[in-house]
Amino acid sequence: MATSGYYDLDAILTDSQKIPCTFELSVPGLGYLSGNVGEDVKEGSKLELPLWLGEMLAVNRIAGDTTFLTMDLPDALSKRVVNALKADPKTVRLREQAPHFYGLGARMLELFDEEELVEILTETFKKRSIDIADKASNSRNLVSEGGDWMKGLDETERALFRSSHEGGTAVRKWFESSSRT
Amino acid sequence: MALPLPPGLTPSEVGFLCEMELVTVIPRQRLESLELLGGPTQPLNPPFPVPLPLWLALLLKRQRRANIQPPAWLNVPSLTQILEFETAETTAAVFSPPPGLPPPTSTAEEEASYLASETLELSTPFLKDTHTSRAQADALPYHWLELSHLVLTHAGDDVEDADAVRRLLRDLREVRMSKLRKGFRVLESGAGLQINGVGGMEVAEVRGFVGGVVDGLRKIGRSREEARREREAEEQENGFGSSSYRDEDDDDMQL
Repeated sequence: MATSGYYDLDAILTDSQKIPCTFELSVPGLGYLSGNVGEDVKEGSKLELPLWLGEMLAVNRIAGDTTFLTMDLPDALSKRVVNALKADPKTVRLREQAPHFYGLGARMLELFDEEELVEILTETFKKRSIDIADKASNSRNLVSEGGDWMKGLDETERALFRSSHEGGTAVRKWFESSSRT
Repeated sequence: MALPLPPGLTPSEVGFLCEMELVTVIPRQRLESLELLGGPTQPLNPPFPVPLPLWLALLLKRQRRANIQPPAWLNVPSLTQILEFETAETTAAVFSPPPGLPPPTSTAEEEASYLASETLELSTPFLKDTHTSRAQADALPYHWLELSHLVLTHAGDDVEDADAVRRLLRDLREVRMSKLRKGFRVLESGAGLQINGVGGMEVAEVRGFVGGVVDGLRKIGRSREEARREREAEEQENGFGSSSYRDEDDDDMQL
């Protein structure tokens, strides 16, 4: 489970992102998950479930080796997106893939063993964070661009941008306030 | 988060701490010793220079009761030399070194000798005399940026050739900040960034970003890190196991 704290809003929001799941069993009365209230969920039916629910059902074993369902990597971490990240991390609009992209990635990596994905996410984060540092120190142009670039950042990156920008602003503020008195 | 304050010192806190640094003051009026929280100040007796905390020095300066003698490194020759070091090709990758440490005073033999005040080993930012006129002339101390700014704005007439000094300081700040930024490129979840000699204000400025990047990388790499640890633990167990098997095999071979 998430170790980052029970009350961490970001962790909660990360866990509420939808993951594609395939049911291995027919479950009576669970039809309301797919909008068919009162019906059963059929074996082999595909549903988008929140990460916390899917994880619970995929990890718990009932009767030997069977689980309720199997999870797949979400679209945000699909081959298409990963290839785009490999080609040029800076141009991918992560927020459109998932608002908590890196959080989702880290959580999925706990469940799936994907060495390559760790590499790619690390590289992506590194390359994009340098871009963020540059933009945060020189943010005047961003406003005139209409904040379009900001809309492509996921939540982690936004927090990074904010703290980076605040560092520079706080220093400037101190210089200004200490010049007055 | 429970604490609204970010971890570490904010720039304004660094600036506040800077005002506690001692600077050399040349008094114009007599003043008895003052009992301050940090200890009594030396009595002012013109024209003999005394070390005073920066905030008091600036107060006296504003009241025209004293002049500030700038630190030994706050002048054109020293700063030019430091700037040359920062920009020279051979040393362009590192920051100019901080002031040297005083020779060690402690002896390791005696019990609990670390409790005695005279055996304290000081390092940046607690070095003595780094901002007074007795400071080392060829090294930038921890509070160089803040202190030089305060002295130049409030006691600019006490600094020789203040405009050239200002220009050099601005160059230094830019050169060093670009070095820090270059360092961002090699940030890793476990690796460090060598920033010996970096100033307090510079650290406060980039702390949020560097901390965020390292934290983010740690989160992404956590699954791999855990897998690696498990593997190592397993290997260790297997290692002991297999070595005993190997011994048996060896015995068989000999037979």
